[in-house]
Amino acid sequence: MKADSNKFPELNKTKFENRGKEFKLGVPVTNAITIGNSVAVGFGDGTVRIFRSGQISEVIKAHSGVVLSISKDGEDILTGGDDGRFLKISLDGEIKEIANFGSRWVDHVTAYNGSLVCTSGNIVYLWMPNKKEPKLLEHESTIGGVAFDSKGRRLAVSRYGGVTLWKKDYSNKWSSSNLIWKGSHNKVIFSNDDRFLVTSMQENQLHFWRLKDKTDSFMSGYGAKVKSFAFVYDSKFLVTSGSNEAICWPFDGNGPEGRKPICLPYVGNKPVTFVEPFPNENAIFTGLSDGSVFLSEIEKSTNTIIIRSFTESEVTTIAVTEDCSSILIGDIGGNILWTSIWDEEEK
Amino acid sequence: MGETNKQVPVTVLTGFLGAGKTTLLNRILTEQHGKKYAVIVNEFGEQGIDNDLVVDADEEVFEMNNGCICCTVRGDLIRILSGLMKRADKLDAIIVETTGLADPAPVAQTFFVDQDVADRTKLDAIVTVADAVHLSTQLSDHHEAEEQIAFADVVLLNKIDLVDESGLEVVKERIKKINPFAKIIHTTKCGVSLSEILNLDAFNLKRILDTEPDFLTSDHDHEHDDDVTSLSFVSDTPLNMEKFQDWFSKLLQTKGQDILRTKGILDFTGENDRYVFQGVHMLMDASPMGKWPEGKERSSRLVFIGRNLESMNLKEGFENCKSA
Repeated sequence: MKADSNKFPELNKTKFENRGKEFKLGVPVTNAITIGNSVAVGFGDGTVRIFRSGQISEVIKAHSGVVLSISKDGEDILTGGDDGRFLKISLDGEIKEIANFGSRWVDHVTAYNGSLVCTSGNIVYLWMPNKKEPKLLEHESTIGGVAFDSKGRRLAVSRYGGVTLWKKDYSNKWSSSNLIWKGSHNKVIFSNDDRFLVTSMQENQLHFWRLKDKTDSFMSGYGAKVKSFAFVYDSKFLVTSGSNEAICWPFDGNGPEGRKPICLPYVGNKPVTFVEPFPNENAIFTGLSDGSVFLSEIEKSTNTIIIRSFTESEVTTIAVTEDCSSILIGDIGGNILWTSIWDEEEK
Repeated sequence: MGETNKQVPVTVLTGFLGAGKTTLLNRILTEQHGKKYAVIVNEFGEQGIDNDLVVDADEEVFEMNNGCICCTVRGDLIRILSGLMKRADKLDAIIVETTGLADPAPVAQTFFVDQDVADRTKLDAIVTVADAVHLSTQLSDHHEAEEQIAFADVVLLNKIDLVDESGLEVVKERIKKINPFAKIIHTTKCGVSLSEILNLDAFNLKRILDTEPDFLTSDHDHEHDDDVTSLSFVSDTPLNMEKFQDWFSKLLQTKGQDILRTKGILDFTGENDRYVFQGVHMLMDASPMGKWPEGKERSSRLVFIGRNLESMNLKEGFENCKSA
């Protein structure tokens, strides 16, 4: 792995690029997860690399195919691959295989306080802390996404026809209820205050349920599938990709029904491919299909700064360290920028 | 369906159980070709398939909420194709094996409907393996068998060593009646050169200009109403574009479920370009395809493959589109 500082013409570089490190790895970046002040990055060749301030780890040969999904369990990285393996990887690079499904892919992984979850096909495999054998939660169709709520008591599983909401009672028994909406549901997330559940769909739209009364509605008008979406820290906004602007839906009060989103435009008018909220602020990092990345305040769209200039490869991941000191940007062309966010940053 | 050379070609392999799909797959994978293929299988396990890139999937047919009543797609395919496109090593081709009873329409429609799939991959051809001994019975008993023939760009008529010459002719006639476009290749044990089934670019609109349908002259006496058949129309009189669009879009909207495939080259009054289109049920891919060749007669040709075609007044509808 070599740093290639000649990648971008000097003139076009931002101050973030100038003071950061750029890597031209040539392997698609598929996903990333922040663990404290480190960022673990998954790649299309099955490797995982860990970025820390001042140092970058060796290449960890985790999967033989694509790292399809990444999450964390405490200080450990969890990955699922198209080689059918579900792995736990320590920050030192030690790999432990939790399960192996052979030619069946591990599509999604997540965890909550030692409870580990992966999905393969239509089954959720759930390992309770210190249990060797997983509990199997079966669904009618292949699982599009999986998410714990903030307390780890509910597990949302999106699929064709809606979401199965699994609930754990105090004796650790899981029971399910269904949130129904026609069509195929992909990624699913809870709002940070657990009041809403949002899914992206095969159609160019998002669906949401208000959990206290199970009312639901949709957010549409997108030109493409919404692949990246997240709530800002206080769940006041849901920020989304899928358009040539970052679309930010208001989720305070009763949610977005009957209200208009805030649309943040960017230079070049290219499709937004990745959004990542800025921790503890109503601000977002927005990655575009041309590789450029911006930071904007949602309610003051004039306050937009460019973080990375274009690379001609769509942004596939943005991760911010827990202390907000550094940001990692990765794209489909295998270009990575790892840089400090603040001018006064001293390492 | 765009056309960039970055798109990985996808070959769809259909055919009834026992026709020889797995034999063909193993042949493709074991031949020394120096290419990297990914194979998506659905009946894994019966006979081993020796390839490090075999993906096991369950066929999942999803309805789309796009106002198109017969529009279904293969959800598993969308997921797997987008996963394969994240790989660091580039694939030369992807082969999708369908189950014996699968309807090929959702597979084909996936490439029309899903933008990510259409951006990164392209439907190369539908190859149907048919058992020369049992095809006639299967066609009578299972509508899926008819659909697999109707959608085929290539029919691999396998096990021909087990039928006599007259039996072979009967089967071939049956296939041509359903699908005059399909190229029929005779094989025993699926012995076929890979160049005849891979990288055909059969769904490229440009290719439609080169394919001459092989119509039977025989009458259509013995059909049941729900048999799949084909009808074709030719006109030397230019068509009125507005009238044609009006008629054709209404036809697909109301009869799209029965119309399996359409193809056509159209000559519109006042237009210098040839218009080429193809459709799968209600979905269409159409484009002007350059000027008519000089010195050659301009004419419109239109082909339908489907059920109950006789009841759709297609001839009358087409005649009405001619410019006055």
